[in-house]
Amino acid sequence: MAADLCLIGSIKSATDRVVNNMRQRKTGALSAATTGAPEEEQLKFQDSRFLTTLVLGRSRKISPDVLPSCSPGIFRQKSFRSATTRPTNSEWTSSLKKDKERGRVATSNQENRPRENSHTKSGGVPGPRGTRVTSKHSRLGTVLANKMASASSTAVVQGWPNTKDDYELKEVIGVGATAVVHAAFCIPRQEKCAIKRINLEKWNTSMDELLKEIQAMSSCNHENVVTYYTSFVVKEELWLVLRLLEGGSLLDIIKHKTRTTNCKHGVFDEPTIATVLREVLKGLEYFHSNGQIHRDIKAGNILLGEDGTVQIADFGVSAWLATGRDLSRQKVRHTFVGTPCWMAPEVMEQVREDHGYDFKADIWSLGITAIEMASGTAPYHKYPPMKVLMLTLQNDPPTLDTAADDKDQYKAYGKTFRKMIVDCLQKDPTKRPTATELLKHPFFKKAKDKKYLQQTLVAIGPSLETRVQKASKRQPGTSGRLHRTVTGEWVWSSEEEDSGASSGEEGKETLPVNTIDNGSSDEEVPEPEEYYGQVKSAQSRVAIPTAEQNVPINLVLRLRNQKRELNDIRFEFAVGVDSVEGIAAELVGAGLVDARDIVVIAANLQKLIDSAGQLRTVTFSLNSGYAANEVPDDKALIGFAQISITD
Amino acid sequence: MPLFGKSQKSPAEVVKALKEAVNALERGDKKVEKAQEDVSKNLVHIKNMLYGTAESEPQADIVVAQLAQELYNSNLLLLLVQNLGRIDFEGKKDVAQVFNNILRRQIGTRSPTVEYICTKPEILFTLMSGYEHQDIALNCGTMLRECARYEALAKIMIYSDDFYNFFRYVEVSTFDIASDAFSTFKELLTRHKILSAEFLEVNYDKVFSHYQRLLNSENYVTRRQSLKLLGELLLDRHNFSVMTRYISNPDNLKLMMNMLKEKSRNIQFEAFHVFKVFVANPNKPKPILDILLRNQEKLIEFLTRFHTDRSEDEQFNDEKAYLIKQIKELKSVHEN
Repeated sequence: MAADLCLIGSIKSATDRVVNNMRQRKTGALSAATTGAPEEEQLKFQDSRFLTTLVLGRSRKISPDVLPSCSPGIFRQKSFRSATTRPTNSEWTSSLKKDKERGRVATSNQENRPRENSHTKSGGVPGPRGTRVTSKHSRLGTVLANKMASASSTAVVQGWPNTKDDYELKEVIGVGATAVVHAAFCIPRQEKCAIKRINLEKWNTSMDELLKEIQAMSSCNHENVVTYYTSFVVKEELWLVLRLLEGGSLLDIIKHKTRTTNCKHGVFDEPTIATVLREVLKGLEYFHSNGQIHRDIKAGNILLGEDGTVQIADFGVSAWLATGRDLSRQKVRHTFVGTPCWMAPEVMEQVREDHGYDFKADIWSLGITAIEMASGTAPYHKYPPMKVLMLTLQNDPPTLDTAADDKDQYKAYGKTFRKMIVDCLQKDPTKRPTATELLKHPFFKKAKDKKYLQQTLVAIGPSLETRVQKASKRQPGTSGRLHRTVTGEWVWSSEEEDSGASSGEEGKETLPVNTIDNGSSDEEVPEPEEYYGQVKSAQSRVAIPTAEQNVPINLVLRLRNQKRELNDIRFEFAVGVDSVEGIAAELVGAGLVDARDIVVIAANLQKLIDSAGQLRTVTFSLNSGYAANEVPDDKALIGFAQISITD
Repeated sequence: MPLFGKSQKSPAEVVKALKEAVNALERGDKKVEKAQEDVSKNLVHIKNMLYGTAESEPQADIVVAQLAQELYNSNLLLLLVQNLGRIDFEGKKDVAQVFNNILRRQIGTRSPTVEYICTKPEILFTLMSGYEHQDIALNCGTMLRECARYEALAKIMIYSDDFYNFFRYVEVSTFDIASDAFSTFKELLTRHKILSAEFLEVNYDKVFSHYQRLLNSENYVTRRQSLKLLGELLLDRHNFSVMTRYISNPDNLKLMMNMLKEKSRNIQFEAFHVFKVFVANPNKPKPILDILLRNQEKLIEFLTRFHTDRSEDEQFNDEKAYLIKQIKELKSVHEN
């Protein structure tokens, strides 16, 4: 037996080893070596792989590489890759097949064994829907299934059925990488609904994440929060049955309106904005009183019913965070997601230990959404995600006029509205009002009723058909999220959770964003992720010979850390793929560089890249300066830093 | 804390009022709506005493202690759980919040509520049967998982006959209920290592015959989740003797070999992590060895091509290489 233990142990210890290696690899970045004389030290990270994580272009695209590693306990930290190749299956010997059949027979016999008094204890509490188990089903595990399915056939219309055949799938109203949203019709209830089909085989995050999202939804019962009916498994898919909001998302309507009419001086009038935001605030008030935080409030996540109902959708992010806390004191704690343009500064900084004000992040996002409803976009929508972070952290809070082309462009909006936005966009979360307080703001006196929204929003919105067409054109990666891993790396991912977590109940945000970019206008600014993909190279004005295109340049940044020890930070720069701003932001995000130096590093990196090999090294002074007892010295790199090409 | 809150009721009064309201609700006489309202109101009251509100802090320890004592004496926890289905939507959530807060209460190292529930195991059984009812399943799940954190309560649950109902609950058609039940089930089997190892050993046959059904479930999620949990259980060193027993049974090996070839890559991958234990066992019983030998060539070929795109998963590739080597060497071992 001891021998057993030993061998089995070898697999386990191999596991541990690998995990440890991974951990070292990651932390290696932060504790990046420290020593004396600059000449001697060629500090290397423990594994060159860290370098790839620094290279934005590669890790950004798809999240599964990142996600499992920040969700410990899930799939035992094995990394998951999307299914591309499948091994060709060779059949086992026929003897095994026979055995298998025999095994199956034995199993089904067991299934037919009478169950132990499973009903007796439970009979006491009939649900309000009046469902009660009455029939004796021989097959284990289907009793409740039948109970729930059969509920629909009884006189009183009961809960929502859990079988695929009870639903007619209609047009696709949203598409993500792992999910498709259909309009649907529930036959027994003779009622419309939306069905979000999530492909679980492609869902690379843990099933627990999914459960959290659904639980967050099902624990809400509020007019302004998306209504969840039921969920069930169909082969390898999970079907979520939700209320169908035929008006689509607020973003759909904004995009449609800006395309079809002149919105230069504002998209919606104040009463419309007040009405919608008041409903959203009521939803948020409920959320917060439940101890939940939404964390992804934006026009794309606000849905409209035909009757003018306003509901908050997409629990993907809140679910995520809840899990992060549940797996407490683990790596995930430092991971968070959201959509950069709407993200509160304290969420970006991740410095707050005091969670008492966490819910204020939603108020910030609401303020951004207010601007979005007036101007048509979030203030920094033109910039790539990393830049948005910088702008949000470094600048004064945005206002209605931040993204304006002309000074008086938005003069139609009054002081009360502007004041409300200012209240929401306080950098100090404690200074922002709560949802309850904000509802009392004078601006909301302008709010009207559902009918008003029917006229101002639903009637002018794109038809469902239009949205359907757009949905089918949609390319994955339109919207995405920014993650910060435990090492402080920022990772932009646009496909995986978009699909599952955020492609959204009605397809919402997924629909029009991209179609507009693709189809209509040249002057439309591409979505951030497209910047990363293609636009960036132009932006960087790279003058490196084409032969070297896409061959990453190896660079080293040498500077002193906070302890004044000299560090070498090695990284790659892929021309045409990476941007200097992105890399600089990544370095800051990883905690390797002072935020004040982000621009100077980006600028000098640009200089080096632009020189097309003429320059091998640049030395420059840092904005973060030097310590009080130090004398700046560009040789000793005190108050200075140096970037060199190493190959 | 407001000094002059409006008619601050004492714990005894609130508990009494709540109990009367729940009783009225249970009787279902004509004043149901009024009772419903009273239940909700008093629940909120108790919740605010425990958690505080935006305007007020939670009550002092002494008040909470009185409240807890009143709850024990009045048997209200059981009553609430039994009538959970009759309480309105928000009230159900409040019950769970109050329950969990009271459960977590500690005096020094003692957990008085845990001790109390040990004397009233009915509470646990009622909660477990909550999975039968769609409208209260998740609320019960929340409370059950809190209970499962305490070894004494987990023990009562896993050693009860009702525990085997979980094998049914985890397979119900409503996904959120099935998954919730699964996470409770998993918590019960993994939280207290020694307790669950003992339980699995003593009840090996019964548990694994039930478990087998989960692995053969028609529900993809059940299959995937249960397979993953199986891997975790077997690779936990506390469950060493359970593992030894499991990997000695050729039927289990066959099942895993078949699962390796399932259509779902996720299931294949989970199956790999159970399959590897069979191969890594240096004292393979003859039936196991025979199966492996009979399939030796095919296994090598299969594993060589198995999930080759996971090139960056070092752990997986190390293990796969190790398995291939082990299987290759099987023959020589046999011949010698």
